[in-house]
Amino acid sequence: MLKTIHCLFVAAVFLNTVYAQKNVQPTPEEIALSKSLKEKYPDNSVVLLESSDYISFEFNKNEEKIYVNQESNESIINIDSRAQIQKYSFYDEQTTIRKFEVTTKNDKSTKPYITDEALTNDDLFHHDTRVKYTNISFPLMGYKHNTYISKEYRDIKYFSNIYFNDDYPVLKKVIKIEVPNWLDLELKEFNFEQYSIQKDISTNTKNDSKTFTFTINNIPARYNEPDSPGPTYIYPHLLILAKSYTFDGENKNIFHSTQDLYNWYKSLVTALKNDNTVFKKKVLSLTENTTSDEEKIKNIYYWVQDNIRYIAFEDGIAGFKPDEASNVFDKRYGDCKGMANLLKQMLLEAGFDARLTWIGTKRIAYDYSTPNLSVDNHMICTLFKDGDTIFLDATEKFNAYGEYANRIQGKQALIENNDGYILKTVPEITSDFNRESFNYDFILNDDKLEGKASKTFIGESRTSLLYAFNTLKDNNKEEFLEHYLNNGNTNIEVSNIETTDLLDRELNLNMLYDINIKNVVSSFDSDVYIDIDFDKELEGFLLEKRKTNYIFPYKKDLESLTTLKVPSEYTITHLPKDISFSSKNFDMNVMFNQANNIITYKKIFKIKNGQIEKSDFEKWNQFISNLKSVYNEQIVLTKANTKHEN
Amino acid sequence: MKIKIILSLLITFSLSVMGQTKKELEVKNFFWGEHDTHKNTVEIPDKWKSESAVILYKNQNYDFHKFGKNVTYKNSTRKRIKLLDNSAVKEFSEFSFLDIFRAPTKVIVFPIPVAFNWQQNTGNFVGIKVVKPNGDEIEIDIKKESVQVDGKTNIAIPNLEVGDIIDYYTYYEDSFKSTFAYGFEPVETTLSEEYPIVNFKLFFETENDFFINFNSYNKAPELKQLPTEKRSIRRYSLEGTNIDKYISNRWFFPLLDLPSYKFQVYFARSGSFEDRALAFLPEKETIIKKNVSEEEVLDLYDKRLRANRDIGDLRDFFKSKTFKNDTEKVKEAYYFMRHAYLTQYIEAMVVKEADILYNPFEFYGSNPPFISSQKEFIKYFTAFLNRNDIDYDVVVSKKRYDGTIDDLLIEKNVDLLLKVNTETPLYVEYFDQYNSINEFNPLIENTEAYLLTSSKNKIDGITREKLPHSVYSQNEEKKEITFTLNDDFSGFSITSISNFKGHQKKEEQNNRLLFTDYIYDDYKKYETKSFIELVKRKKKKIEYQKQLDAAILKIQNHHKEQMKEAAQSEFELNEIDDYAFKINETGRYGFDSYLTFTESFKGKDAFIKKAGPNYIVEIGKLITNQIDLNKKQRERTENIHMSYPRIYNNKITFNIPKGYAVTGIDKLNKSIDNSTGAFISQAEVIGSDLIITTSKQYKNYSEPNSNWSLMVDFLDSANQFVNEKILLKKT
Repeated sequence: MLKTIHCLFVAAVFLNTVYAQKNVQPTPEEIALSKSLKEKYPDNSVVLLESSDYISFEFNKNEEKIYVNQESNESIINIDSRAQIQKYSFYDEQTTIRKFEVTTKNDKSTKPYITDEALTNDDLFHHDTRVKYTNISFPLMGYKHNTYISKEYRDIKYFSNIYFNDDYPVLKKVIKIEVPNWLDLELKEFNFEQYSIQKDISTNTKNDSKTFTFTINNIPARYNEPDSPGPTYIYPHLLILAKSYTFDGENKNIFHSTQDLYNWYKSLVTALKNDNTVFKKKVLSLTENTTSDEEKIKNIYYWVQDNIRYIAFEDGIAGFKPDEASNVFDKRYGDCKGMANLLKQMLLEAGFDARLTWIGTKRIAYDYSTPNLSVDNHMICTLFKDGDTIFLDATEKFNAYGEYANRIQGKQALIENNDGYILKTVPEITSDFNRESFNYDFILNDDKLEGKASKTFIGESRTSLLYAFNTLKDNNKEEFLEHYLNNGNTNIEVSNIETTDLLDRELNLNMLYDINIKNVVSSFDSDVYIDIDFDKELEGFLLEKRKTNYIFPYKKDLESLTTLKVPSEYTITHLPKDISFSSKNFDMNVMFNQANNIITYKKIFKIKNGQIEKSDFEKWNQFISNLKSVYNEQIVLTKANTKHEN
Repeated sequence: MKIKIILSLLITFSLSVMGQTKKELEVKNFFWGEHDTHKNTVEIPDKWKSESAVILYKNQNYDFHKFGKNVTYKNSTRKRIKLLDNSAVKEFSEFSFLDIFRAPTKVIVFPIPVAFNWQQNTGNFVGIKVVKPNGDEIEIDIKKESVQVDGKTNIAIPNLEVGDIIDYYTYYEDSFKSTFAYGFEPVETTLSEEYPIVNFKLFFETENDFFINFNSYNKAPELKQLPTEKRSIRRYSLEGTNIDKYISNRWFFPLLDLPSYKFQVYFARSGSFEDRALAFLPEKETIIKKNVSEEEVLDLYDKRLRANRDIGDLRDFFKSKTFKNDTEKVKEAYYFMRHAYLTQYIEAMVVKEADILYNPFEFYGSNPPFISSQKEFIKYFTAFLNRNDIDYDVVVSKKRYDGTIDDLLIEKNVDLLLKVNTETPLYVEYFDQYNSINEFNPLIENTEAYLLTSSKNKIDGITREKLPHSVYSQNEEKKEITFTLNDDFSGFSITSISNFKGHQKKEEQNNRLLFTDYIYDDYKKYETKSFIELVKRKKKKIEYQKQLDAAILKIQNHHKEQMKEAAQSEFELNEIDDYAFKINETGRYGFDSYLTFTESFKGKDAFIKKAGPNYIVEIGKLITNQIDLNKKQRERTENIHMSYPRIYNNKITFNIPKGYAVTGIDKLNKSIDNSTGAFISQAEVIGSDLIITTSKQYKNYSEPNSNWSLMVDFLDSANQFVNEKILLKKT
């Protein structure tokens, strides 16, 4: 019972934390500062008064690797009545957290209880990232804590970037990087243009090094917004390009050029045995009795998509090195690298020129001009055929040959080419490639709309629907289809559903069905009011408080056409007004028409880049407001020969 | 030389952990050995061909043995499942187990540190094999295929495809010493589960000193005794076939309607421990106990519920008080005890949870009395009743979701409360911070219960009685909503006064009330001190007060945000402004007293639609979301079981904007009233207001499936009301 009561009041608000310390009560000045900060940052509970990172490098002779030490100090103040936060730091096989300290403002240790646990990630079956964290309590407004974390990277390769933003706003952020002159290191600045970041370089003759100091004031907390661009696009940060080092007079490259990065990747790939014996028969069965090379390739590509489950292992070197194709084939599962490798080997086995290909998905802002392990996060397979380059992503489901998922479109691909490499860009498609076309033909029957509907999906709209459909239990699919077509609204009855083959990834996906809708037609006296739109796409898409671009899963293109045959005894007395909005990124039109007692209602929504950029928010929001007004407006029919008396 | 030592260590160690242990092989042989009668089972009945997966064989085994004080408990399950679609393949493609392997052992052999990363078995085992359609069996090498993280073993199943059979077992073994009687966790389950089952077998093996209560319900097969080689060993099994999958549903008590079984095993080494066991043990280990008699109930509780607790606080409080009658006295005692033994500590609990102090309870004396269970409550409250010569019975009842009191089998399922035999009997239940007198769990209302009667302060008799029931009008949610449109129709404002009484109140009290809403009144009423008042040192008092105030402010802000989100969700609005929330009455003194609170807010983009020069108002939506039955739900085949009868009353006042008239109110008048429930609504224009009243009633605790269509009638009527609109016509 007592425990129950605890939960009722407190558990949702408080974490288990260290106890408040003596002699650390906030001063009136600290309370005043907190109050003013709360006005500035109303959505945050604490602010970092100062946050500094000091980064240094040392050469480990035994391992011939460059170690990186990162020391982070933070001074945190509570700006709420009270606050609890979790201070955490990640590490993995390549890194060690050497110290994790929490002190009071008078520098006495709070003796924090540090929890160490594996980081869970639903998308990854297994990975080696762990987290150390502690809960810190701020019992009063103005209460302060300091934190100190010392972290060691045992190979400079894995120290790839450093960010200025934190979970909380920072009043003063300093990043100090001491680069010894034996190390050739470039600090490439990203997203600095929107911020005033001061950069100082000083030379230290004592230890033969240069210190780069970056200082920024008043930087906001990291955004917590869904469907936003990857962090490399939106936050100021430094990409660490470790090029080479000189030791005992000998200069050795790290990632001086893309070739160096490729060489390292290639060294991991070359270590593979590539014994394809186990799937020779399968390749043969997939390619025999075919009439063209394209059919052979498709058979292999689709077989891998359909039969190899994506199960990701990111554990140490396994995060970079593909699994043997034979293992993936035997196990029928693999991560992107294993699946790409199996696909490559099966295509090679069938006599095609297939190559492994490293690529960064759209979440990553970098390309291979900045060689670094952060440039890519995915592996696909590239096929060279009759002068064409075709990219094959084995992790995609229901992806048709020659179609590319939005996440890799426009991205640079690093394709293996013996000792060299080839850089190519995955082609981008236009939004009409993903078009969803809806057609509704209604008649008015008493207080119901009755008619027929058809929907067609192509490109990624088709792929995503087929994938969702095929993850369901077979005996739930019919119910799902009905639910999908009536938007889960019991006022909409759908029946006689006919579809194209819901396993065919190449055909246009068509759905034909009968549709009856109740409770959208209201009759009052001699007037009939019709709420004709029951899909109301984008209705909730006002982006008023958003700070980052909105990213759709793919480029959107919707054409929806509704016709309503009005009974002859009615005249059409009111239709909502047309609205439109066009720019380089959008074509949005809503049109109403009437001819021969038939109302035509057409919507065209094209989001050409698959995103709404911040610079478009004002116009976008204006359009959505207008769209909501249209959605909220009724079509009015009046019985013929009725006089209105207003 | 050093290297040699390390190598030999490594080899020895490896050998001991790499091979399968004898025990592991025994377990494997038990499931998949030569006696496995299901090793060739591959066919499924035609009726289940369109299922996602079918369990060909499910086998659960419980094994209880002892050696002196050492008790060994083994629990194993095997499932052999045919996977018929991709969803099933995905479902069974990854497994996760706790405590299969011990954490890797690190050994340091000076001067070279060596980490032995081998996995050691814990005595718990898992076996998984995949049977391909051609009959090939592939046993998964668990050690090879799994990864261990923080005590969790994750396995990705290789080469699993549609049409395959996955056949796996889990085996857990636990050994412990027990001097006293020990009850294993009871099991109460339906035979059915997510996938249909072709063959099911439950198997028990026990020996002397293990007592089994077991019964089957709702036409589930009976447990049968099997012959054994020794008299001290006993074996039982329950076998079932063709068990349809379990489908969850609203208002459904599966243990009441589906074939199911319950059991509990108790370990008691001798007669005296048997007597002390808090369980309805069978007379002998050789007997499987299937039900519990009145005498056994009396026998278990007569000595366990002695009125022997110190109620000094209560005596002190009552010293200067006089009461009209025993009813008043009992009521006052109940509420006082709720405060003295619970709510007076709530501030301290907050102080503890907010980490202001490690042990704030020290301020309440050396051993502050809490009441932490139903049985403790009975002991305290009957001490008061005995002292005041007030007659009472102890009520032994059982929640109705898994059968009647005649189905009583497991002591943990018993709910104890008191019937105080005042002029009109009063029922008192172990309290939480809100409980009122005469308020007890609705799931035991209207059920048959035993009454343990007492004479000379001793429990010495037992009778049966049906507990009182509540009627729908007692369990009320009542809302008064005032809806006003902005002058320019750009938005609206809503003021809502919500009232809850009877059983509808408890959940709302849990959600809506903060301790600050009632604790200070309680201090005053019962002349007790707040936590801060108990702190003597002035400096500390100031320090704790500041921190407690800060914690309370945080809780209140968080709570207000939650209330706002609840209002948004209730009215299905994306965003609301100017939200205000106020508790008017806490409803903590009386089952029929209302919890009342007022909310107000402004919103837009809802309820109003433009219709040429006029406006359509979706007025029906103001009664908020109603049950909207889909096709499948309409075809319900199960009986309907609800917690209690109840009523939802709404009064909506719509301020008609000037210059407009309301049309279409006839559709707002509905009346469906039958034996299962009702939806009745009336609308009329009074002055410049449209007044709508609605009443939705669920009249009974449960309905047979044959009454479902009657329920559908009033549920549909309420849902149709939500869809009704009125026209605001420009005058």
